[in-house]
Amino acid sequence: MSSTWRSEITAVLGKELRSEIRSKSGIVTNIVFGLVTVVTVSLSTYNQQIDKDIAASLLWVIILFASILSLPRVFLLEEEQNTADLLRLMGRPEAIFWGKALFNLIQILVTALIISFLFFGFTHSPLTVPWLYVVSLFGGCASLAGTVTLCGALVSRSTNRSTLAGVIAIPLLLFLVEMGVSGMRVAIGPFETDLVLGGGIRAGIGLVAYAVMTFAVGPPLYAQVWKS
Amino acid sequence: MNKALRYLFALIVGMVVVWSFLLPDAKGFAYPEFARVFFWHFPCPILGTVFLGLTCWFSFVYLKTKDLKWDIRAEAANDLTFMFWILTMLSGIIFSELQWGIWWQWDPRQTSFLLVLLVYSAMMAFRMSLADETRRAANTAAFVLASAAPILFLIYIFPYLPQIKASSFHPTGSIMEGKIRGAYAYAIILTLTITSILSAKAYKMRVQIGLIEFALDNSDGQLEIPRIDPAPTAVVRPILLSDED
Repeated sequence: MSSTWRSEITAVLGKELRSEIRSKSGIVTNIVFGLVTVVTVSLSTYNQQIDKDIAASLLWVIILFASILSLPRVFLLEEEQNTADLLRLMGRPEAIFWGKALFNLIQILVTALIISFLFFGFTHSPLTVPWLYVVSLFGGCASLAGTVTLCGALVSRSTNRSTLAGVIAIPLLLFLVEMGVSGMRVAIGPFETDLVLGGGIRAGIGLVAYAVMTFAVGPPLYAQVWKS
Repeated sequence: MNKALRYLFALIVGMVVVWSFLLPDAKGFAYPEFARVFFWHFPCPILGTVFLGLTCWFSFVYLKTKDLKWDIRAEAANDLTFMFWILTMLSGIIFSELQWGIWWQWDPRQTSFLLVLLVYSAMMAFRMSLADETRRAANTAAFVLASAAPILFLIYIFPYLPQIKASSFHPTGSIMEGKIRGAYAYAIILTLTITSILSAKAYKMRVQIGLIEFALDNSDGQLEIPRIDPAPTAVVRPILLSDED
């Protein structure tokens, strides 16, 4: 019986979600990481109102490093648990990539939302354009999920893979951070002119466009390397 | 290139270098005599982009054919791309110090090139971490193709965004707007031509070395002594050594 794309992607996504619900290691690690870093930021800026540019930068740095810590695991674990070969026999590479990237998107979105609540709660930074914040956060998280999933897949059979995943992913994501900060600095803090708002909207659109590109380019590239 | 042509080329290179120093100083620079750094700064990003395009194409062909010779070509082009990015950065830093009085000032152009260099450094680290040559070729090719869009964005889109352009010291569009004319324009064309010929030669040599290494690796099994008749036909007998010796 030939399976459809949808059923294969859903199967991989379901498998990842079930594994995560059983172990809870990924999301718990991310939440604790977010809590520790937000508390560290709050302590280091104790009794001071954080500037909106600094707040947006700090928030993005926390989300970036949370994603680097957790997202490559989806492929690295398969190699460590010796289940990668079975996975290669079971499905099409594109479907496996999509399933794992979607799981990573859910994971980083949940993490980013929790980090955001903690961040705004601890630092008392105002949120003036919530919809732009949501667009920037979603676009940024989708871009992170697509890029880090691909990097995790590429390094999964190399030496020193956990560190290497971060080493190759961060340079690809630095300009994304710049766009994310541009969008969020408009969403956080006092309302600016329409010109500044326009810049923030462009950054948000750029993040979503990059996310679409990573999800489109990732599967065919992964298909070329998954059996090498 | 035969010997006479090589000597002629070396002579032309020398003449162009000397001529570039004899040109009158450019106006509007803090140190006009050092504005000549531009002659050698300008070709670097152009050639870096050309070799980046070649790297992407060879990587794409490798992924389609799985022929390691394409990986050798991609690696050679990638090495030259990295070299040209580094030269762009170094010549830019020197110009920054001479013109604006500071080696590094987080100018958007400098910063975007720094990010490109970080991507390339990561690529080198990644390539070195893969021991198996087939896996190394495939995974590096995939990484090259995945990083092409961010690199092109950082070099050719990010610096030209209106808010970035306004905050940068780096001049943009000087050539397209016809601000560089006369002898300076000819000098730039000549340095670009010279650098292009040199880099094409370097690329060809790098590929030749890679192909020779590849051929040697593949001929390892054939270099062994034939084992059809390994032992001599005569029987070797033990001999008695005299105690007097």
